Amino acid sequence: MISAQYAISRFRRDMTFGTLLRSLLLAGAAFSLLLSLSPIDGRVDGTMILVVIAAIWLALSYRSARGLRLAAQSPSVIASGQFDQAEAHVEMALRSFSLFRTVKLRTLHHLALLRHAERRWDDAAILSRTVLGNRLGASHPLTKPSRLILADALLELGDLGGAYAAMASLYNHRLTLAEAMELMLVQLDYSARIGAWQAMMSGVADKVQLAELMPAGNSARAQGLLALAAMKCGREDWKKWLADRVELLADVEELCRLRPMLWEVWSRQTAPPERPLATGENRCLAPSA
Amino acid sequence: MAAAERPPWLWRSNRVTMNATTGEISTESPKAGEASAAPEFLDVATLLERSQPVGRAPWIWIGIALLTGTMLASGYGSAHAGRPQQQLLSTMASAAMLALMAGMAVFSWNTVRSHREEQRRIEAVEELVQLRRWPQAAGMLGLMLSAPMRTQQTRVQALLYLTSVLARYHRFGDAIAVEEYLLDNLQLDERTEYALLLARAMGLLHEDRLFDADRAISDLRRGSVEGRESAGLALIEIYRDVKTGHPAEAIAMFEQKRTILRQQLAHRLADAYGLAARAYDMQGFDDQACSNWRRATLLCPAGELRRRYAEVIPLIAKYQPAETPAEAR
Repeated sequence: MISAQYAISRFRRDMTFGTLLRSLLLAGAAFSLLLSLSPIDGRVDGTMILVVIAAIWLALSYRSARGLRLAAQSPSVIASGQFDQAEAHVEMALRSFSLFRTVKLRTLHHLALLRHAERRWDDAAILSRTVLGNRLGASHPLTKPSRLILADALLELGDLGGAYAAMASLYNHRLTLAEAMELMLVQLDYSARIGAWQAMMSGVADKVQLAELMPAGNSARAQGLLALAAMKCGREDWKKWLADRVELLADVEELCRLRPMLWEVWSRQTAPPERPLATGENRCLAPSA
Repeated sequence: MAAAERPPWLWRSNRVTMNATTGEISTESPKAGEASAAPEFLDVATLLERSQPVGRAPWIWIGIALLTGTMLASGYGSAHAGRPQQQLLSTMASAAMLALMAGMAVFSWNTVRSHREEQRRIEAVEELVQLRRWPQAAGMLGLMLSAPMRTQQTRVQALLYLTSVLARYHRFGDAIAVEEYLLDNLQLDERTEYALLLARAMGLLHEDRLFDADRAISDLRRGSVEGRESAGLALIEIYRDVKTGHPAEAIAMFEQKRTILRQQLAHRLADAYGLAARAYDMQGFDDQACSNWRRATLLCPAGELRRRYAEVIPLIAKYQPAETPAEAR
């Protein structure tokens, strides 16, 4: 298994080497051009140097494209749960040479994705932080998925502040449907941990609709968290409906093992009395009230 | 409305008229003389033909050939020309090479940009299909597939979404035609091929082509994706048994595959519960039918289940659906 530290050091080394090589080739091209335009008679033909540089550039670009193809296979393999195969793909892509930053950044992101799928939260957080710490340029589409991985990993590690910072920066981006679903799940998890039940219940019908599009496990988790929020806010109709749905979609014991706070939904039949509210406080007021 | 004034998202055919904004669908025939003026709504044959990617000039290879030519001409000129001409030739060759390289870079950038644009549109269609915004998805697919697509890969994706949209509008015959076209003519990965075979088998059942459906199910039983059991196949078998009046077999299949149905179908698990409820109802087991119908309607509204499977219609009047919070209705 590739360690996060090794992957990061290899990534940094390859990035430096790639930048150096690109600079050298560009400087060589500029020099040969000056040589061709110069009125001084020289024994070396600038055009020939330019041709050699162009040929090297093309050959290295072709080699880099191979790395890109290798990297492109990883997400679907990770999604299908074949982690060993994904590990092999990422390792090959990481070891292959690339002239361009994009390939290396993408490979590191795929490794973060893999570690996230394997529930290795430490590694996932470190790797996605490294991706985000670089100037992404043409790889800017990696920003949103990397932040989502980071937010979820930090949440799992109990770093609520870090998770909030990673999530907050996503509000400035336009998200795809898949990203919006992931963000909603992370947000529900975060809100449940800080006890923001009212915020969780705001627009609950839309949230449920979005949860219905998720795979069974995530859908059950999202609706379980919403059931907990409904219970805390005294919305017994929502709590019962959502809890019943979760029971159909997933194994409740397994779900509660991953999110112990959810035991509360299944251990009590009615909403427990909350601590008395302070004057003017409406922490659990239902949206329709 | 005159054909010229008709918004692009409005189609009219002798089968269906659809307004993509309101989603209203009607089946009235067009007025005389109007039929030829507007294209048929998602005419499969036309879309398959028009969406074929066209061969483009191999500009990259032309560029490389020109670069080589320039280099050879420069070498030949340097060897045979006098000293002042040598200098001029060398400068001209360098300038020509730079211009060519810049041209190739611009061309590549343009190509990548148009590919990305097509990919972006496909992703938008995917989202519309996921969100069940069928009229909008149909509109976008109609526009995309009416012109040659840039790559075969995005065309395959668009055609896959087209099968979903056609099935949604109960045009199972057309959906099967697209699925068979994809299976027969294009190289697909194992998962996509299996998903298409599942969709085709379901379409055949809806079209009442029971013999073909049975053969398709037998073929599916022999294959699998990564050796895993398929909940989709189990659902198709349950549907076949309900449709052909074999409720006992449907119930046995449902009980046997309950775990994988839950793991793989997510909210489409409602389909399995709905069909199981119908099977129990056919057997006269009202209690089980009632509890399974409640579970089905807990995950999906009864109206949507009725739209998917006409066989569950008798259950709507007979059994109470699950109680749903007012805001969720």
